[in-house]
Amino acid sequence: MATTKVGDVPVETTLEVAKVAMPRSPRLMGRFNRWDTPWLNSKLLAGVAIIAAILLIGIIGRMVWNTDLAFTAKSPLNLPPVGFVNSRQQEGTWAHPLGTENSGRDMLALLIVGAPNSFMVGVVAAAIGMSIGTFLGFSAGFIGGKLDDVIRIVSDVTITIPALMVLIVIQSLLRQVELSTMALLIALFAWPSPTRLIRAQVLTMRESGYVQMAKLSGASTFAIMFKEIMPNLTPYLFASFIGNATGAILTAVGLETLGLGPQRVPTLGGTIYDAISAAALLRNMWWWWGIPTVLLAFMFIGLLLINLGFDEIANPRLRQSSQ
Amino acid sequence: MEHTSERLPVLKVRDLKVYYETPRGDVLAVDGITFDLYQGETLGLVGESGCGKSTAAMGILQLVNPPGRIAGGQVILDGQNLLGMSDEALRHVRWAKLALIPQGAMNSLNPTMRVRDQIRDVIVAHQRKQSGRNVQTRIFELLTMVGLPSRVYDLFPHELSGGMKQRVCIAMAIALNPMVIIADESTSALDVVVQRVVAQTMLKVKQALGVSMIMIGHDMGLMAQMVDRIAVMYAGKIVEIAPVREFFAAPKHPYSQLLIESVPSLKERKPLKITEGITHDPRNPPPGCIFQLRCPFVMDKCRVVAPPVQEVTPGQLVACHLYENSGDGSLIDVRDAARNS
Repeated sequence: MATTKVGDVPVETTLEVAKVAMPRSPRLMGRFNRWDTPWLNSKLLAGVAIIAAILLIGIIGRMVWNTDLAFTAKSPLNLPPVGFVNSRQQEGTWAHPLGTENSGRDMLALLIVGAPNSFMVGVVAAAIGMSIGTFLGFSAGFIGGKLDDVIRIVSDVTITIPALMVLIVIQSLLRQVELSTMALLIALFAWPSPTRLIRAQVLTMRESGYVQMAKLSGASTFAIMFKEIMPNLTPYLFASFIGNATGAILTAVGLETLGLGPQRVPTLGGTIYDAISAAALLRNMWWWWGIPTVLLAFMFIGLLLINLGFDEIANPRLRQSSQ
Repeated sequence: MEHTSERLPVLKVRDLKVYYETPRGDVLAVDGITFDLYQGETLGLVGESGCGKSTAAMGILQLVNPPGRIAGGQVILDGQNLLGMSDEALRHVRWAKLALIPQGAMNSLNPTMRVRDQIRDVIVAHQRKQSGRNVQTRIFELLTMVGLPSRVYDLFPHELSGGMKQRVCIAMAIALNPMVIIADESTSALDVVVQRVVAQTMLKVKQALGVSMIMIGHDMGLMAQMVDRIAVMYAGKIVEIAPVREFFAAPKHPYSQLLIESVPSLKERKPLKITEGITHDPRNPPPGCIFQLRCPFVMDKCRVVAPPVQEVTPGQLVACHLYENSGDGSLIDVRDAARNS
């Protein structure tokens, strides 16, 4: 080391060297700015913000708004939103800021109760489908052999069945559909694509160097599955889950809009169905079908943005420079 | 090291056969190789691509995946035959006594685990009753031994360079003080400077621990510097094993001669000798010698009888018909005999 003879200058230099070489130093080598991470990309943030806003409407709304208004004959009929006039020249009032529909349900209360319902059906269905899919895909990829053949054939066959059609038939046969029943029914068709995805990933990872090394170095099968392979699957699981949830919500809303959803509980799709069957379009009651449609559109845009955000995390080539 | 008379074989490989199944018959990737690995010795295993070097290593480690299978032979490590051992027993022996430094260090470390966790897993999988503190000191010790700074302890593999990753793999291989380490082309994916560093690390570690090592590779220059004995493989068979000095001074098998001639020289400009003929279909080798299709000295006998392994000079084993027992027990080159008569 080139030391100068000026008093305590060399001391400082050695101190710095020691700091760098110190074992177990907090990760100085990593990013210098902890806000500079791909997880904070604008798409993901926007998507999360939209979905959070919709869910917050449902949570905070329940506290500040009377949710009983979501049921029949609790309010005056056919009121427009504030600032608009309906065909009978009635003006909207602040008692019902988003108006009411023709059986006296308050639109704001409908949204507060209905939006989380539609969302939850999709998320629960996707979660069940993902769990089944991950389990089957993992077993098929890892164990292989006959089991793999069976799982692969069953999931490939299930994928070719048009889910919506089968669900329409089943739901129209059931008199009364609960939210949970609907979630389970949708989950019945939500497992094959995660199964295939996970199976493919496990197959490639099983042959990778580090799994071979782990096997060679005496790691147990359990350790290989959950310590070596699982963490590497996480990005795929995330992406697949968001895609699956979008699909499941779409299916749920589709069924509700066809009038096959739960009848007792308000849902967004159910509201659109009521609006269509009461000829809301002809009666110029745009707020009845328009507001739930806009909310649904936002929900899907939010999920899409989250999906794109995850893409950006997983694939650095999609990233733009932060400045 | 070369003069110790009581050299103990640590690893004995006897007639090991590894075949790959294909719809049109088995590919004889490793077809009956036999050799001994002595205590503290480095054995080089060289040969062209596809001659079965890595498959032989996988066969010794019992890591042959379908469609490959071990078709026969014995691998005796420290008195125990690894073939026919139960998976559970194998799990305990492997890595504790027999470790691997893999071919591509880039893919051999789990991208989601820190270096410390990967090394710890190796240690904990074999030696359960240990305090975390002990394991931690041991990991630092290992990192120092392979010349890595201690900050590597907390890093992820993607934060390391190729040479550093390779050295982490070396640290993992020596974590349990094995008797035998197999280095499967451990330096071939690195540039020459890093290659040298990694090779020196291996040599240092080997001398410090006194382990035996099998080095697989095709870098003849590196082999000449690193190994004590060298084994040449061709098409699934070992054609020559010799102490490294004798081998480079006087290779006996025609294939070894061609192999050494192919090494470019700094001093002279020489044309590259490309051997005539092609390698046979590894599914059905011709009767007789396996090198007959490319051998410049091929004789009628070579097409009929497979050459036996003979000790041409002390320690130098060659499988070739060019060397014949002269009657008084010494071996002579048939070509010399023909010229003299």
